[in-house]
Amino acid sequence: MVSTSSAVPVTVIGGYLGAGKTTLLNHLLASATSRLAVLVNDFGEINIDAGLIESHDGETITLANGCICCSMVDGLAAALESVLALQPQPERLVIEASGVADPGTVAGFCHAPGLLLDAVIVVIDVETVRAKVADAYVGDMVAAQLRAADIVIVNKIDLVDESATAEVVTWLDGYAPDALKLPTRQSVVAPELLFGHGSTDRGDQTAPAADQRFESWTWSSDEPLERSVVEGLMGRVPDDIWRLKGIVRLTDDDRRAWVLQRVGRRWSLRPIARSAAEVVTSELVAIGRPGAVPDGWFADLLGQPSSSEDL
Amino acid sequence: MNPARPFAEAVAVRDGRVVAVGPLAELVTWGDHTLDETFADHVLLPGFVEAHSHAMVGGMWTMPYVGYFDRVAPDGGHWPGCKSIDEVLDRLRAAAAELDDPDDTLVAWGLDPIYFDADDRLLAEHLDRVSDTRPIFVYHVSGHLATVNTVLLAAEGIDRHTPTPGVSRRADGEPDGELQEPAAMSLAKVAFGKVRAAFGTDQVAWNYAYEARNAGHTTITDLGTTQLYDPEQLDRWRRVTSDPDYPARVMVAAGPGIGGSGDHDEYARLAVDLRDNDTTGDKLHFGIVKIILDGSIQGFTARISWPHYYSAPDEHPGNGLWLMDPSTIADVVGAYHRAGLTVHCHCNGDEASEVFISAVEKALEEHPRWNHRHTVQHCQLTTKAQYRRMARLGMAANIFSNHIFYWGDQHRDITVGPERAAGMDACATALREGVSFSFHSDTPVTPMGHLHVAWCAVNRRTASGQVLGPQEAIPVEAALQAATLGGAYQIKMDHLVGSIEAGKFADFAVLDDDPLTVDPISLKDIGVWGTVLGGVPQPSSVSA
Repeated sequence: MVSTSSAVPVTVIGGYLGAGKTTLLNHLLASATSRLAVLVNDFGEINIDAGLIESHDGETITLANGCICCSMVDGLAAALESVLALQPQPERLVIEASGVADPGTVAGFCHAPGLLLDAVIVVIDVETVRAKVADAYVGDMVAAQLRAADIVIVNKIDLVDESATAEVVTWLDGYAPDALKLPTRQSVVAPELLFGHGSTDRGDQTAPAADQRFESWTWSSDEPLERSVVEGLMGRVPDDIWRLKGIVRLTDDDRRAWVLQRVGRRWSLRPIARSAAEVVTSELVAIGRPGAVPDGWFADLLGQPSSSEDL
Repeated sequence: MNPARPFAEAVAVRDGRVVAVGPLAELVTWGDHTLDETFADHVLLPGFVEAHSHAMVGGMWTMPYVGYFDRVAPDGGHWPGCKSIDEVLDRLRAAAAELDDPDDTLVAWGLDPIYFDADDRLLAEHLDRVSDTRPIFVYHVSGHLATVNTVLLAAEGIDRHTPTPGVSRRADGEPDGELQEPAAMSLAKVAFGKVRAAFGTDQVAWNYAYEARNAGHTTITDLGTTQLYDPEQLDRWRRVTSDPDYPARVMVAAGPGIGGSGDHDEYARLAVDLRDNDTTGDKLHFGIVKIILDGSIQGFTARISWPHYYSAPDEHPGNGLWLMDPSTIADVVGAYHRAGLTVHCHCNGDEASEVFISAVEKALEEHPRWNHRHTVQHCQLTTKAQYRRMARLGMAANIFSNHIFYWGDQHRDITVGPERAAGMDACATALREGVSFSFHSDTPVTPMGHLHVAWCAVNRRTASGQVLGPQEAIPVEAALQAATLGGAYQIKMDHLVGSIEAGKFADFAVLDDDPLTVDPISLKDIGVWGTVLGGVPQPSSVSA
């Protein structure tokens, strides 16, 4: 897994009431292999086994596996500040946006120093999402949620037939053409796809559905990269690469390291506080459909060999 | 406002309450008395009741004010409006000179640049002229923007690479000092910490009551959303209102908080327990629940029905924001309704009021209940059909009439267009359709003062002096009713305050002139001596 130790990666989970956000959060908490901090609007819906709770102090619940849940009663900015003040710092932060929030707005808070926005995930109910978008009161709000998504979790596919799911996935292109779409049942999805790390350690997570089977590839180099080479790579990534992320040194900046992130077809290249001197090796991890990356593809574009790992 | 005695020569007071009101010759028949002629040359009205305002204004006044309109601080200090960027900078220089610590962040509030010359935006380059060593943070009156100086940008690490949306930029890509919307504003952590600390003191509650007293108010509402669930806030209200010198009665409303999640039945039990069992005294009251459905019209975040906004910014999504899920409102309202509480719901746009009224209707069908007085707060674009439904359902309205003056020109020209602007803040419709109503300042959004709000409801003049929809103007008598009993009714205190009547608290607004005899266009200019609270004179701190 690529380390961005100076900043906590943040995942924002949005979606309309009843789509399956909380179920997803419960999965993530139960299967966490790193110290996850979860920000929720209230604890009521989070299903935490009382035996797992180590301590409950007002707005914070600490679990035996090292994860913590914080409520946002004093607002998102205050909650983020208290999470950043935690010692040790959580390894990853997940924010559950309320059912009426625009997760894009929530994501706006996640560029503060110490945080690194990873992806905006929007959970939809495949059966009702089109009716919600047509709803006179909430239609514009649900559409805005879809537009903000880097990843759309097309949930509850067990309730409709396959062609209906395919129709919704196509329909989604009208709102989120660049987003990665992941069909799921009961919000079960491989954390690797959500978080973009290539780790094979999945805890007790259920095996991914057939359409979520994936492969990961890593590439590394001790040499700094030309910015234009990185940007050129972004124009040539096959659609079957779902996530691509890493930390790189650039030839035009010997002070800072840069973080490259790509989810679906959206990407960004941003400096982080770590000095370039600390980052000896540039490293990228790609995750995608098995076989999506031909042998030597990275090396051809960037130099140095890549390695792959089937999952 | 006592229909049996609308006008009287004198009032007899004992133990803080009204014994009788009427001709002196009649009052003396009650027996031994002392004749107090302090107010022989003044006019006594029932103390004004403000049913929608926020104690946080008391915290704002711990910081320098840089707004466009003249404003009076709780300590009586006059703060002339800052009419240009240069005047803002002069104000900030003076405030900086009073800070002892050279590194302390200077936080100011109330900046209102929409009335400045067209291209005048306050930016870091201006604030840098005030200080290039001290961080400076200036809140805009809208609450959606702040301007900071270069020192603050550097200290918080805000630079050309900061990807946060709302960090406004110069042509060369560097931040220009304007932080738009909460995500960008929250980058100014030190300034926010300072503001939070200022809001946590007892002085906030005292300042709040002083601002009220100076404008003739004796009962005020802290229409918060979460305070009851914060034991520190509750202790603060108990502490200050049990002080004999505290010069106002306070209705402390609470609710499930922004977003409206949580266990509403549990919140309801807590609110009922406080309403029925709190023993703090005559100056602390409970029983109102506040929820928030949408945003603001001037911020283009109110939920407005088709045809929606008149002239929204290019990137605007078409309609405003829901702050609670409209499909859950009926359940939320139902929980408080069943518990016997009164729900006040923030609805600026008519789509929001439609959802709230429908929720109340459903609650009543499932759980019939008389005298609930559920209230549409702000009620700015509530339609005539909605007023008719509200009348049948027994609902009340609290109308944000001050908007006519402060933002009426913008509503006509930009947000909702001429027709709907002419019909907004529709006091005459409420009166005609028989909906009990009050009006409000929503301080700190606008200054507290029912003479000014009444002036808006009666004259409907905008800041540019134009009349906005004269058909919705109401007579002065109706405005005075709204300012007193109208407010008391919707916070269920009309048996205690809101009129000068035997048995009620001796709470009066003491005015220099009679609102019923002055020219209505001068209503807002009537001098306020102060108040009488429970029979005790409370002189204003404002010098004439």
